[in-house]
Amino acid sequence: MENLYQPKKVKIIKIEEQSPTVKLFRLAPGFSFNPGQFFLLGKVGYGEAPFGALSSPYESDYIEFAVRKTGTVTDYLHSLKEGDEIELRGPLGNGFPLDFIEGKDMVLVTGGSGIPPIASLIEYIIKNREKFGNIYLLYGAKTPEEILLKDRLEEWQKSDIKVLTIAGIVSDLVKEIKIDEQNAVAVMCGPGPMMDALEKILRPLGISDRRIFVSLERRMQCGVGKCQHCTTGDKYVCLDGPVFYYDQIDKNHD
Amino acid sequence: MLIIKEQKINAFLEKLKEKFEVFDVREDKLPFKKYFLPAEERIFPVPKTPKKFVVFGLDLADLEALTQLDEIMSKPKQDFYYWQRRKQALVIGIEKDTKKLAQDYGEFFSAEGGSASGGEEVSDWSQQMRQLLLDSELLADAVAWSRDHKIWEELAEKCLGCGICTYVCPLCYCFSLEDRVGLDDKCSRCRKWDACTLPGFSKITGGHDFRPTLKERYYNWFYHKFVRAYKEYGKSQCVGCERCKNQCPAKIDILEVLKVILEDYGKSLSAEKS
Repeated sequence: MENLYQPKKVKIIKIEEQSPTVKLFRLAPGFSFNPGQFFLLGKVGYGEAPFGALSSPYESDYIEFAVRKTGTVTDYLHSLKEGDEIELRGPLGNGFPLDFIEGKDMVLVTGGSGIPPIASLIEYIIKNREKFGNIYLLYGAKTPEEILLKDRLEEWQKSDIKVLTIAGIVSDLVKEIKIDEQNAVAVMCGPGPMMDALEKILRPLGISDRRIFVSLERRMQCGVGKCQHCTTGDKYVCLDGPVFYYDQIDKNHD
Repeated sequence: MLIIKEQKINAFLEKLKEKFEVFDVREDKLPFKKYFLPAEERIFPVPKTPKKFVVFGLDLADLEALTQLDEIMSKPKQDFYYWQRRKQALVIGIEKDTKKLAQDYGEFFSAEGGSASGGEEVSDWSQQMRQLLLDSELLADAVAWSRDHKIWEELAEKCLGCGICTYVCPLCYCFSLEDRVGLDDKCSRCRKWDACTLPGFSKITGGHDFRPTLKERYYNWFYHKFVRAYKEYGKSQCVGCERCKNQCPAKIDILEVLKVILEDYGKSLSAEKS
């Protein structure tokens, strides 16, 4: 019988400091995933925590994650050095609906350390650039230091991804966006202020709730739909998500 | 099917004990689930598969719960640790009402084959609860509808948030994974019972809690049993065993709660029509 709780050991190839509290971990390859899927990273004795993969799904030499130092597991991960091993389970969850978004304009909204799954999606879009319309990335953070992946943001603009960053609230950016609202999709990933972005950007732009996808953050602990920590309404974020149509989850009590 | 006369049960158990470890659940406060999903178990390093054992004395409600728990722990994929124990277990149930046995399993044996005393009645509470459980679709609709009902406010006042109802429920299976580092530098990961009514159950890194109040957590307990479970498995995750009612230190009676909700849900439906 397969043990769903059994993590795999993976070597750290490279560690890069992204901000005072965020490190980027480049791990040895061997996992294929869809942008938006997540992995549980950690070590027996310290715990596991969920992270969205941020590297390109086409990348065969490595897989990357960004880890913000916030607790026991992430303190441990931050103490590791290149050459050490991380324990990992995944990929888990559904990922973004890659077929549905094809041929559309896209508005990607995120903040702070919510960027990883969006970053992976952008790499996917760039590889298939001719299949997509106008792409906007709206990336907010409380302070400029909390903007992650700065070198990639520049790189992406060369592939006609319009990157709008702002230290403050992302909802100030609405004037700069040119999309065909009948054929546009929005993707949101990030903390609470994103709801603000929904009201102040996506609704004014005319994107309907059915075309807004949100990647939810919950306490995905078992990752296999058993432990009940990550539920919202009748959905399991670890199995049915983490990516949902906005109107699948907006009326949930939790 | 093997039928044993009641007078001979103890002799039969003695015989079984010669060969296997036998757990008799008839007097237990905690339900049989603890033998397959222990209150605390080490999952890493992966423990050895246990020797074959016998769990004796489940009543009909427990047997129904076991069937459901087996299904829960199989979908969408098998839970390794549950089945590591479950597959080693021989489970023996007890039906006290031989008349009912004869009705249900008449093709296998006649009523005379059962115990002579027989006929011990299921409590009135259980019977009423099981009557409600026959329409789990209605329960799902009513509990989903009841989210803004004042009863959750009232229950949050009454409930101590202790989690006992979930521990004694044969069908509550929430758990947490907890890691430890020992002084000897040995690390381990454990799985422990958790309770969705306890504070912090849905708290994420950074401190945001998706169900910060007891009212929300208590509603979620009902929501899982009667709504989410119905959508996932087509039935309520309750078998009317009465343990939660009997063990609740605040004397909360889920049957009374459901009755109130069903009545007001019915009223709201007829109000809609008129």
